[in-house]
Amino acid sequence: MRRGAIVQLLVLGLLAAGFATAVALLFDWLPEPASRQAGRIDFLYWLATGISIFVFAVVTAVMIYSIVHFRVRPGDDTDGPPIHGNTRLEIAWTLIPTLLVIVIGVASAIVLSQNSNAGSNPLIVKVTAQQFSWQFAYPHNGNVRSAVLRLPLNRTVELQMETRDVIHSFWVPEFAQKQDVVPGLVTTLVITPDRIGTYPVICTELCGLGHAVMRSEAIVMSAAGFEAWVKGNASAVSGGGAAAGKAVFAAQGCGACHTFKPAGATGKVGPGLDSLFKDAQLAGLSVPDFIRQSIVDPNAYVSPGFPKNVMPGNFGSSVPKSQLDALVNYLIPPTTKVVSP
Amino acid sequence: MTTAAPADHHTTEAPRRNILLRPGFLRAAWMSVLFFGIGAGIMVVVRYLEGWEPLWKGDVITTVSLTMVPLGFLAGIGVFDYWVSYAIGRPTKPDDHSSHGAYSWKDYFKVNTDHKVIGVQYLGTNLFFLLAGGLVALIMRAELARPGMQYVDPQTYNGLFSVHAALLIFLVIVPAFAGLANYVLPLMIGAPDMAFPRLNALSFWLLPMGGTIMLASLVVPGGPFATGWTGYAPLAVHQPLGQVFFNMGVQWAGASSIMTALNFLVTIITMRAPGMTFWRMPLLVWANFTTSLLVVLATPFIAGSQFFVMFDRVMHTNFFNVSEGGYTLAYQHIFWFYSHPAVYIMVLPGFGIISEVISIHSRKPVFGYRLMAMSLLAILVLGFSVWAHHMFVAGMAPWLRVPMMVTTLLIAVPTGIKVFSWLATMWEGKLHFTTPMLFVLGFLSMFLLGGLSGIYLGSVPIDIHASDTYFVVAHIHYVLFGGALFTIFAGVYHWFPKMTGRMYNEKLGKLHFWLTFIGFNCTFLPMHLIGLQGMPRRVADYAPAFANWNMFISISSFALGASTIVFLYNVVVSWRFGERAPGNPWNALTIEWLVSSPPPVFNFDEIPQVVGGPYEYGVPGARHAILAPAREPVPEEVPAG
Repeated sequence: MRRGAIVQLLVLGLLAAGFATAVALLFDWLPEPASRQAGRIDFLYWLATGISIFVFAVVTAVMIYSIVHFRVRPGDDTDGPPIHGNTRLEIAWTLIPTLLVIVIGVASAIVLSQNSNAGSNPLIVKVTAQQFSWQFAYPHNGNVRSAVLRLPLNRTVELQMETRDVIHSFWVPEFAQKQDVVPGLVTTLVITPDRIGTYPVICTELCGLGHAVMRSEAIVMSAAGFEAWVKGNASAVSGGGAAAGKAVFAAQGCGACHTFKPAGATGKVGPGLDSLFKDAQLAGLSVPDFIRQSIVDPNAYVSPGFPKNVMPGNFGSSVPKSQLDALVNYLIPPTTKVVSP
Repeated sequence: MTTAAPADHHTTEAPRRNILLRPGFLRAAWMSVLFFGIGAGIMVVVRYLEGWEPLWKGDVITTVSLTMVPLGFLAGIGVFDYWVSYAIGRPTKPDDHSSHGAYSWKDYFKVNTDHKVIGVQYLGTNLFFLLAGGLVALIMRAELARPGMQYVDPQTYNGLFSVHAALLIFLVIVPAFAGLANYVLPLMIGAPDMAFPRLNALSFWLLPMGGTIMLASLVVPGGPFATGWTGYAPLAVHQPLGQVFFNMGVQWAGASSIMTALNFLVTIITMRAPGMTFWRMPLLVWANFTTSLLVVLATPFIAGSQFFVMFDRVMHTNFFNVSEGGYTLAYQHIFWFYSHPAVYIMVLPGFGIISEVISIHSRKPVFGYRLMAMSLLAILVLGFSVWAHHMFVAGMAPWLRVPMMVTTLLIAVPTGIKVFSWLATMWEGKLHFTTPMLFVLGFLSMFLLGGLSGIYLGSVPIDIHASDTYFVVAHIHYVLFGGALFTIFAGVYHWFPKMTGRMYNEKLGKLHFWLTFIGFNCTFLPMHLIGLQGMPRRVADYAPAFANWNMFISISSFALGASTIVFLYNVVVSWRFGERAPGNPWNALTIEWLVSSPPPVFNFDEIPQVVGGPYEYGVPGARHAILAPAREPVPEEVPAG
């Protein structure tokens, strides 16, 4: 190869690498990490990006050089030189990629083993997924339940996840950790949050018509704030009254599917809960009976325009009776007495 | 066959049979109804005997009909006629060529045993479903242009992306390669036809059955199948009736695939022209040989997985029902044991096309021919050992992750060999930037990006973050659209003169390429970004933070869709009015270019003699094969393109 060709290839390669590097740096490709696991994945990501930029530059340089220099001249009917191969070159482009993928393979295996290590004393959170809501329970913290995942800063957490119906998948982009929740299995996921903030919890495994709205929040708070929340929450649920009903509503994740103004819930999968009086009339039941039936046996009466078999049928068995009563009371519209004839 | 008078080919079997009894669409129509009646009747009788109410149950009848009606249609259209005659002892003529060759456009709508006609039938069908699947995608993009719900409800949206993927995979990419190879491969190896022409006809006609069933699911009560093309259990078990249309559509398309693959294998092994050793086969033949092995070994697994889901639904078996001892992840293991090799089924034949086109249009031998063939075999073997990389977050045994990551990353090596060898093939060549060559260059750059994003997804920890996001949507479109579909376009343009006897319009071809290339990148490049930032795939609604990018993607996707109009116009107008193509417009060496365009009905008057490698460009006086001088062409014998 002529020296001029090598220089040109180098220049083209550097230009391509520069372009790719600019694209890699100009955009925020990953969310800002909020867990130690995400930090390690960040490192792997940049390793893969470095290798990719190298390969991209080599291929682009050769391709552009060929397009410019080996374009056929008008009227040229001849063939190129009959080069059938070059054993040295072929060995090189077998061995170098092998080496590169081994580097990234080893680095990935190390990060994977670090990221799956929960340590000796993780905070256990039981996660229950169902169409289309998340529920989080803290067995070592008075079995507090919540529809929002609250985590203390810098404490390694092990999520133990189960599903009541189909496959779901738990993902928080800022934690960069994801795990499917599979019927019949308890799957686990390790997270060590290291940045205070509120992040989305997203279901990433197609789970039915409400899949897109099967969302919650992960709130990383200071250790003291977490302790205070555990204490306050435990007393709210058992306290009775509207506060208890509201806590159950939140803990069971009702707002993921239903709109209910007093709770600030805006779900659109199921019927809204602000006009229960009308629905109860259509179903031919008193309002409290209708509410209880709709929670315990949702298929008994389905509001017009909504499909059957979407709401889980197991709240009757999974929610304790006292909490169920609080929830029913909480949902009874305050205007019922005024409107009723 | 050389003794048969030309007129015999299409007049031997034209007795004045009643129009209702003649093979054709009319007979197909009433036989479909008849078979529907038989299926429904059996169901009613069974339900009566078992004492089940109601006797007439729509779900049950529909499920059974998805087997019976296509069978009736196939019997009516006439694909079984020869075998039925043989079975009931009617006189049959084993070398009957009455349904060979196309003499008018109508012949493309009949059962035909000519591999060239079947090839065109395939490509026409693929084009139809490409348009249908593309339109479905545009409805999706319209919905996604803004956050919130505008045009469709969530269940319909889930159905749209499921139908889009199923059509594009099972009715476009996989069979389009079968169609191209059907046309080209027998010519390339110097064979008069495929090994089993009647089986070949059956394979083709199974395909529209599968496609029609999948499309028909759009109008089923409860909506189309809405579980993605992956159809994971247990969600798929409890879906509305549309799901069965996926379960059964896959069976018909899959059966078509398996039969064609067997046909290719036997054809390649037994029907190569004298002198055509394995190491003289063009790489397209190598690629289809490898692909056919993959299809035959892997496709039964997806057939099984879909039957299991359907049995869980209609017969209350418990393959995936945990509470009765089923195992949910079994579905994913079985499904991906097919569907990962399917990724190579959808790209290896494309590798073959690239090797042909790049060598011919660069006027140079393929660099490292033997290593190119061996890397295909390496991908075949490795391809069976990586399926669980689709399941890194699925909850399977954790120890499986690292070995599957290693094999996954290793596949980059044979794939890299191919990309570097193609680049070396262009090096110092005389590059002719025809439309097929542009699509090859487009393929090389897009597939490179698809391969690089594959490295991210291959690394388990990064995949844990990126899995099931738009990053994966971007990746799959870079390998299947920028990869596979670009090679199909390259192949269609490259062999268009051979198939139609006409040249396509080069200016329109180049316009099509540039519109597609730019539209493609504007549509799919930003998906990498929004995926990594936190947008999951398969969602009808998304966080407002992604609104701007989604609007940009939607607008680009409409431009991309519009580029297809240029392609359609070019194909139709060039086929009708294009400049007549010479036998060998590209000055190529492989055998298909040594015969007229389009080739004679039986391809060769004399069997070609292969005397050298397929890509000896630049070697003075080198030839791949020698044809004895053709006889004077008989006008009536030239098929209507």
